Amino acid sequence: MGADVFEITVNFVKMVAIFLLMVQIVPLLVWVERRGSAYIQNRFGPNRVGPLGLTQLLADAVKFLTKEDFVPGRGYPFIYYAAPIVAMIPAALALNAIPLSSPVHVEAFEMLGQTWGPYVFLAQGYEFGIGVVFVLGVSSLAAYALLLAGYGSNNKYSMYGALRASAQTISYELAMGLSIVGVILLFNTFNFTEMIAQQAGPLVFSLFGHKVEALSFLPNWGIFYQPLGAIILFAAMFAEANRLPFDLPEAEGELVAGYHTEYSGFKFNMFFIGEYGHMFVASLLMVIFYFGGYTLPGVNPETVGKWFADFSPTKASLLTALVLHGVLMAKVVFFLWIFIWVRWTLPRFRYDQLMDLGWRTMLPWALANTILTAIFILIARHPWGS
Amino acid sequence: MPGIEALMHIGIKHYLFLSAILFSFGMLAVLLRRNVIVMLMGIELMLNAVNLSFIAFAKESGSLSGHIMVFFVMTIAAAEAGVGLALAVAIYKKFHELNIRFFEHLRG
Amino acid sequence: MLWEAIGFYSLAFFLIFFAYKTITAINPIHSALYLVLTMIGLAAVFYDLGAHFIAGVQLIVYAGAVMVLFVMVLMLFDLRAELRAFSRGLFSGMLKIISAGLLAGIFFAGSDSSIAILDTPAAAPSADVSRQLGILLYTKYLYAFEALGVLLLVVAVGVVAVSRIKGGTHARH
Repeated sequence: MGADVFEITVNFVKMVAIFLLMVQIVPLLVWVERRGSAYIQNRFGPNRVGPLGLTQLLADAVKFLTKEDFVPGRGYPFIYYAAPIVAMIPAALALNAIPLSSPVHVEAFEMLGQTWGPYVFLAQGYEFGIGVVFVLGVSSLAAYALLLAGYGSNNKYSMYGALRASAQTISYELAMGLSIVGVILLFNTFNFTEMIAQQAGPLVFSLFGHKVEALSFLPNWGIFYQPLGAIILFAAMFAEANRLPFDLPEAEGELVAGYHTEYSGFKFNMFFIGEYGHMFVASLLMVIFYFGGYTLPGVNPETVGKWFADFSPTKASLLTALVLHGVLMAKVVFFLWIFIWVRWTLPRFRYDQLMDLGWRTMLPWALANTILTAIFILIARHPWGS
Repeated sequence: MPGIEALMHIGIKHYLFLSAILFSFGMLAVLLRRNVIVMLMGIELMLNAVNLSFIAFAKESGSLSGHIMVFFVMTIAAAEAGVGLALAVAIYKKFHELNIRFFEHLRG
Repeated sequence: MLWEAIGFYSLAFFLIFFAYKTITAINPIHSALYLVLTMIGLAAVFYDLGAHFIAGVQLIVYAGAVMVLFVMVLMLFDLRAELRAFSRGLFSGMLKIISAGLLAGIFFAGSDSSIAILDTPAAAPSADVSRQLGILLYTKYLYAFEALGVLLLVVAVGVVAVSRIKGGTHARH
């Protein structure tokens, strides 16, 4: 956690702040989703409450908080209450393990008659040393929220939704994990910060002992090395987050509302936060694996640090972190918009089509991607001739 | 009191004790429970307890072979769980019951 | 040292409590959920022991895949609290508990008296344990690894064959 009181306090505040970031992104995304769907379907959407309908969210929150707190009579109350909380935990834990910007360096300073000092604060809640593996492991726990909700509600629609959801989650987890294996092979590390550092700079790679610089007008992003992996990972993320076109667990036409049929008010809202948190984590992973994280061509921790070094040497790293965080969030928002865009564009799969896609299409392609990446890296990076 | 010092200094012995307790709990689950799936879960618990002692020994001896063993045990356990659950599903389809006292006689 | 002890004892307390509830919960789904908590606690213990990658794999494989399967199968059968959750016979039950206790006692005594034989650590594993683990897996233990691959293939085929047995909703008449 830290060496002294100041560091421990800052780290704790950081974790809470990242959790609140996840919670606060939900109302904004709901607004974007409703306005965006209205735009796509040539409607107005919520535009009455406040400017552009922005305070509609507050009205919704009040509605959520004042609804009746309903508990199904013959269910399992403890499991029923635990499910919404469990739904929020995986996304929050995963988000805390992902760096949102470059580290902030704090020089030694005097406070309360004591020297505190020099610190390096990572822009993430904690660093476990196994970055990607931890995020994968934690997000694989998300299936329990759905199972608990379905079981605790004592309702057959909930149960069907939960069984569908968990089958879907474990099926698509395979393709997701395998496509991430390609990324790990490519960057040769589990650590997100190192992955981003390798993607800064122009697209220069060594092929059979030669340096290829013909494509150096492009940034050195993972998407140029792993296009298939990126597509598979993004598709699997839709299934993991239970979003359309893979929203079979809550298919409202067939299952009322799936696993959260019996949930109302704020408990329903917590499922919502979990789902949007998953989307947020998924977009972050896409950006970090394939789209350069918080770097842009010409914008990376060193260059931005140099801009601010003359301006204010003491606060340079903080300002750098803010700028890079802005870059990261801009990319993440783009991916979140794609999530919403796809939801209102594509129709839902049938359940057998969903399983077919997962097991017979995405899994073989992800396996092929992994094997080809491994062989290619082995051959191309081998120092032939030298 | 000399015991306090030994209790507070966490070493391999504490992890081995924890592993032994978990192993005997897994064994009790297999011996006492009559539901096939709960018995399978007891086996998983025993395997996990053994994994814990492997990791504790690996830390103590500074070699990574213990980690490799755990890796293998996990793979075998996953395979074993798959087979066990498939058998349980087959049994349930046939007898509509998972309590082991209903099929202790080998009749179809 | 103090914090280490507090961390270990609280983790151990939760692990033992969850394992105890796994055995004693009458409803099989509750025992499966307690076992999930045990697995997550064990992942934390593994992390504590420096096996970071193994802890991650424990989360993915046990908590995220195997136990989801268990819970799913139990829900599919829609099992409620069971009438005969435990085996019959007070005397034989006591005998079983005593034998498990004796086994644990043997472990205790054995580890207590023979731990001094262990060599002192030659060198603590360096920071990049996962990389060394991979290298070891693909060099020294390559044949075991390949054998595991074959085993998994056989098991996958076997599971599909067993689960296509007649009866139930997917019967082929």
